[in-house]
Amino acid sequence: MSNGASTNDLETLVEPTRVHRRVYTDPEIFALEMERIWGHAWIYVGHESQVPKPGSYITTEVGLDPVIMVRGDDDKVRVLYNRCRHKGAKLSAQCSGTLDYFRCPYHGWTYRKNGDLRGVPAREGYPQTGFNPGDQGLVALAQVDNIRGFVFATKSPSAPQLRTYLGAAAATLENIADRAPAGKVEIAGGRLRYKHPCNWKMFIENLNDAMHPMIAHSSVGMAARNYMKSQPEGTTYPREAEILFPFGSSYEFFDTMGVTGLANGHGYMGGASSIHTAYSEIPGYWEAMVDSYGENRAKEILSSNRHNTIFYPSFTAKDAIQAVRVARPRSVNETVIETYHFKLIGAPDEMFERTILYSRLINSSSGMVGPDDLDCYARMQEALCSSASDWVDLSRYAETDRRHNDALTGCGTSDLAARNQFSAWSKLMAAGN
Amino acid sequence: MPPPDLALIERLLYDEADCLDRADLDAWFELYTEDSDYWMPVSPDQTDPHSHISLFYDNHLMMEIRRRNFGHDFAASMEYPIRCSHIISNIRITNSDDTAVHCQVTSNFQTVVYYKDQNIYAGKYTHDIVRRDERYLIQHKRVDLINCDAELGNVVIYL
Repeated sequence: MSNGASTNDLETLVEPTRVHRRVYTDPEIFALEMERIWGHAWIYVGHESQVPKPGSYITTEVGLDPVIMVRGDDDKVRVLYNRCRHKGAKLSAQCSGTLDYFRCPYHGWTYRKNGDLRGVPAREGYPQTGFNPGDQGLVALAQVDNIRGFVFATKSPSAPQLRTYLGAAAATLENIADRAPAGKVEIAGGRLRYKHPCNWKMFIENLNDAMHPMIAHSSVGMAARNYMKSQPEGTTYPREAEILFPFGSSYEFFDTMGVTGLANGHGYMGGASSIHTAYSEIPGYWEAMVDSYGENRAKEILSSNRHNTIFYPSFTAKDAIQAVRVARPRSVNETVIETYHFKLIGAPDEMFERTILYSRLINSSSGMVGPDDLDCYARMQEALCSSASDWVDLSRYAETDRRHNDALTGCGTSDLAARNQFSAWSKLMAAGN
Repeated sequence: MPPPDLALIERLLYDEADCLDRADLDAWFELYTEDSDYWMPVSPDQTDPHSHISLFYDNHLMMEIRRRNFGHDFAASMEYPIRCSHIISNIRITNSDDTAVHCQVTSNFQTVVYYKDQNIYAGKYTHDIVRRDERYLIQHKRVDLINCDAELGNVVIYL
């Protein structure tokens, strides 16, 4: 079996505890994923706070399709394909903006904020052609919904409702919003766009892989410790060190954190504890939370400490950090990772400054953590082209998964998350047959 | 009081470029004051490094940690040669206090970085520098890439 072989053998590529290297390297499989996975799943588009008033919009992609998220005069947030109905040109090349109507720069067709066709120059040229402006509006994605302002869309009219599809993963989004004393969050502080020379699945799998931090990120912890040792005894650990040290935590630490796999490939690490649990308190935040929610509820909200929640296949979120990362696949071996940051409305500014500091140290192209992850993905992408062996192993702790209703749980260093993701992958890929 | 010494300032910028060309972060670090920082914004005209994300914003502590991590045997991203070539021009003193102890200097740079692939970075430097006896040291450096908001891969060395 070689790369580029037919894709009628999909069921042979994923076994319970191993996957064939072609799932990461074969362009035909990537094309099928775009159709059967990214064409059916709910894909993260953006947050409602990015389109605060009628006419504000952002552009992004759902799978490989350019889309526009725009707020209409009726205040409804729509997700429309960013493609003129005339000759197919992309309508907006801006990342974001505010306008009264969209105008195609090629032949001047214009569209209202709700996607309806507004005007066509020299319309008298369409006599007896059956041209009906009512049929020529921008195409909307089949379903759009949001949880606490986090907007998802699916191209599939038959996909289950968003909350059904996300299951217990949705609680992470609820928790991010609940962590705001005002009960709502807004995107702020700019974004990162980080080009990764690897298949999208490598990034998504890695966020619930707890066997790599103590290896791939060990140098950063050592460098930080080495510096702290050079300081006079009793020097307080700065926030940077507080963020970087836990990446070098032991296998036992991550095992205790635990991993949970949910239906449709979603999942998370942690819950009761995570690498963020031991952060020092930011003055004024607890008081603001108690004011809003009362002590018991505030305690309950802050006790949720999921590490990375995966919303398969496109979106990952950290509740305790209020930063999210979005996978935008470009080709079988190229993925752009976008990072966005959420301000907790009603919280002290210092909370958001910690979000930004964390993200800069971890998620940036020049971070202390991301570049080593990226290099490991690039190495896999390069070496999996080799026929030295066809299989990638996912067997760690395979026999100890425990099932509670819809959820699979295991110790943190298990390969459970990857197995769970590939189980969803197989179902979606087969469903398109 | 003497006016800012342009020749001395140029020497500082070229010395810094030379350290980075050789990827010698230990020598580079010696050109900075003990309260220095290094900032590479991710948005054009960005005014704030604390409540807006940046590519780099290293205070002195992070500069210390980064130079200790640089080239580390256990870091996957560091297992490649890094060679750079900086060209700096259009050097201008844009601000200076009465005593010429504190100056702000802007310049254009074009830097070719060979790290796995060859990449070109270009933009504007803003150096806030401080006179210390017969030399200047860098207190703040801001690097505005012309493509700061583009999709970038790994940028593992200061530019």
